[in-house]
Amino acid sequence: MNDMTPDRNERQANLKGLGSSRKRVEDLRFTQGKGNYVDDIKLEGMLHGDFVRSPYAHARIKSINTDAAMALDGVLAVLTAKDLEPLGLHWMPTLAGDKQMVLADGKVLFQGQEVAYVVAKDRYIAADGAELVEVEYEELPVLVDPFEALKSDVVLREDLDPKADGAHGPRKHHNHIFTWEVGEKEATEQVLDSSDVVAEEMVYYHRTHPCPLETCGCVASMDKVNGKLTLYGTFQAPHAIRTVVSLISGLEEHNIRVISPDIGGGFGNKVGAYPGYVCSVVASIVTGLPVKWVEDRMENLMTTAFARDYWMKGKISATKEGKITGLWCHTTADHGGFDACADPTKFPAGFMNICTGSYDIPTAYLAVDGVYTNKAPGGVAYRCSFRVTEAAYFIERMIEVLAIELNMDAAELRRINFIKQDQFPYTSALGWEYDSGDYHTAWDKALVAVGYDDLRKEQAQRVEDFKAGKTRKLLGIGLTHFTEIVGAGPVKNCDILGLGMFDSCEIRIHPTGSAIARLGTISQGQGHATTFAQILASEIGLPADSITIEEGDTDTAPYGLGTYGSRSTPVAGAATAMAGRKIRAKAQMIAAYMLEVHDDDVEFDVDRFVVKGAPERFKTMKEIAFAAYNQAIPGIEPGLEAVSYYDPPNMTYPFGAYICVMEIDVDTGEHEIRQFYALDDCGTRINPMIIEGQVHGGLTEALAIAMGQEIAYDNMGNVKTGTLMDFFLPTAWETPNYTTDHTTTPSPHHPIGAKGVGESPNVGGVPAFSNAVHDAFRAFGLRQVHMPHDHWRIWKTANDLGLHG
Amino acid sequence: MELSDEIEISVPVQTVYDALNNVDILKKCIPGCEELVRKSDNQLEAKVVLKVGPVKARFSGQVTLDASRGPEKFSLSGQGNGGAAGFAKGGADVTLSKKGNVTVLSYKAKAEIGGKLAQLGSRLIQGTAKKLATKFFKSFSEVVVEETA
Repeated sequence: MNDMTPDRNERQANLKGLGSSRKRVEDLRFTQGKGNYVDDIKLEGMLHGDFVRSPYAHARIKSINTDAAMALDGVLAVLTAKDLEPLGLHWMPTLAGDKQMVLADGKVLFQGQEVAYVVAKDRYIAADGAELVEVEYEELPVLVDPFEALKSDVVLREDLDPKADGAHGPRKHHNHIFTWEVGEKEATEQVLDSSDVVAEEMVYYHRTHPCPLETCGCVASMDKVNGKLTLYGTFQAPHAIRTVVSLISGLEEHNIRVISPDIGGGFGNKVGAYPGYVCSVVASIVTGLPVKWVEDRMENLMTTAFARDYWMKGKISATKEGKITGLWCHTTADHGGFDACADPTKFPAGFMNICTGSYDIPTAYLAVDGVYTNKAPGGVAYRCSFRVTEAAYFIERMIEVLAIELNMDAAELRRINFIKQDQFPYTSALGWEYDSGDYHTAWDKALVAVGYDDLRKEQAQRVEDFKAGKTRKLLGIGLTHFTEIVGAGPVKNCDILGLGMFDSCEIRIHPTGSAIARLGTISQGQGHATTFAQILASEIGLPADSITIEEGDTDTAPYGLGTYGSRSTPVAGAATAMAGRKIRAKAQMIAAYMLEVHDDDVEFDVDRFVVKGAPERFKTMKEIAFAAYNQAIPGIEPGLEAVSYYDPPNMTYPFGAYICVMEIDVDTGEHEIRQFYALDDCGTRINPMIIEGQVHGGLTEALAIAMGQEIAYDNMGNVKTGTLMDFFLPTAWETPNYTTDHTTTPSPHHPIGAKGVGESPNVGGVPAFSNAVHDAFRAFGLRQVHMPHDHWRIWKTANDLGLHG
Repeated sequence: MELSDEIEISVPVQTVYDALNNVDILKKCIPGCEELVRKSDNQLEAKVVLKVGPVKARFSGQVTLDASRGPEKFSLSGQGNGGAAGFAKGGADVTLSKKGNVTVLSYKAKAEIGGKLAQLGSRLIQGTAKKLATKFFKSFSEVVVEETA
């Protein structure tokens, strides 16, 4: 028998474990139209809900008349704040410690705000009913600029006592939400005053939106007989949603089952709780029938969580040789009408204090002021860890501005300021402990790969040619070296609504040597069913193809905080490995019993336990699994199961070096991306093919954000980009080719050394694209121009610089 | 959004001015006007069906006229509510001047729109507004000339 045993490499390959470019198992159903999304759920007698929304950005509600809507055949109910008030559900808590109207209570604070909820027999009748609800508004002055909001006499939140503290301490003004400070203010100011060079700039990261292809939605189904509520929805954090629903509805948590079915992209948009969920639950409780609510595209873009909208005023100082001495940042954060940012409780501006980036900056200070305006609430991490993309954009712009100030090459300026490999673990001036990194190696590899020196020569020649009238195209080289902080997070400082940000995995090995593992996370396209099975395959020696991964049903999966902020692999991936190790520990005892040796005399070898020094004597994991169910082993319980709740000791710090080479047509403002090189170091690589796919997708979203995507308002508070005609989503037409590359610096504290990668390309991509635009115009005096760099804005930049003759 | 234009109408200034204050004539000329009722000397109430791109809605609103500087100058302002479709408000200053045998009517109009109209129709609004204004003044000059003849 032993002669037939495949060799070790072959056995390893059969597992399709860590490092295997295993094809995504999810894609079988997705590519054949067999996915099961919220809108695919159809229950017996199901009703449909639709909202009446405010056309005004700020108005008092004088009256709501629902008679005509109620008279429409097929309309069963019209809910307003008055109906929800007796239940205490006309307001709901937000993730940021504020509260938010479920349905307009006396006034509206942003365009598209939910005013009434119409429940009808079908979606069309619900929409017709919504049109028949008559609402009388009295217009109020609109504040869409956070700086004006902080000066204005107009009070947006009349429900708040202006003198009382907010959720994060004192408020300075009736439209002010919080001030968050990190670092040493005075020391930083002294450093700035005494340094050779100081560069100062306002860096605006505009408001945008995650815009997943599938909008938000839910189906609430209250079974009045057994008192159980089942809530299907597009939830990135199903367990947290269950707890929130229990807390605000008063239903006992065991009577609530939350199910996230297949989700068509989340990118942070599906983390929060929305009025649609609350109204659907209430409507189902009232009618005793299932109620479905699914947003349309305009509703999604106008009302569910936006991202960014940070005004970041920065100062960076250095010696004349270019060694950075200090960094100062004051951010004005536009949070809209309610503070519904999705951040860990103690971090009202997320992990913005990662804004020292990849650089060894001895002294730093950051302050963030949150402000109410007449815009939609939100502030989610759109394909990034909490506010990390804002931080990365800020520091990577400040580095470029400093390079201009020093008249220095921006690649060299980065190199001389990188945290060195031997400084890890590195404690930053703003309080983070970076786990591991090797920035110089990654940077040099990237510069060589693109032929950096030659590119600069070509660029200099291009400037000459342009000045001589030989060309109308400029060349920009966009550099970025980013460091992320992901994998929230250690329970000691990371929680959401008091729930610690651990995650979990529960494994059951079946008698025939296959398995099911359930996790507290939920895939929205990340490929969890593929990658988590690979982690487990390497840990327990059963093929990934024999392992089912299940997530998203709170009745069956262990409690976890969900999927966002690149936390799945750092946290749930670690739980998976740790649970796998518990399985292996028990398997070791079973194997020793079967081989009639002491526990310590067997060792794990890929897919089996072998007797030390006698590899011909072994039991495969498949054999051990069967034994766990059919043999009475003294001192060992039958079965083979394990569960792990993993509280990470630290965050992980993926990094990368991105270079974008862009041609810009000065006369049309059009751009062409000639080359995009992306080197990612995400620690141990689980599935290289999925990583490449993640990087391609994230870069394309970064392209969208940097080059055109925005949620724009006019001065009346109208959303000007409420449809996909105006809100830029790139297609194959706009998307360039990407070259991906990697280095591997494992995380020292993660069980398998993995750091997470899904969001890196968005964090690093945006500054790379934006820096390329800036760099193209550097020779003509451009320092800073705000994103998005659409054709018109690039044309205007060229025009303002006098390049149109 | 701002619009301005001028047209020539081959009747005297006073005739044009009177027509601008004549509810029946206005009702005939305003595109999509279903109802126009005088509430007082300077207040009108209107119901107008408007279509901008994919949005079609019945607007009801008030119009305030200012005839204090007539017959050479005439201004009006108003606002309308289209329910789920959104709302609109705006005004226009009209100047009438004599040029030989004809009257030159020039106008400057301003409009603000909100709600679904502003979002769905934003890229169509300017064109639609221009088209509606042109249509109004074209029928207006025809009707005025017809009634005087």
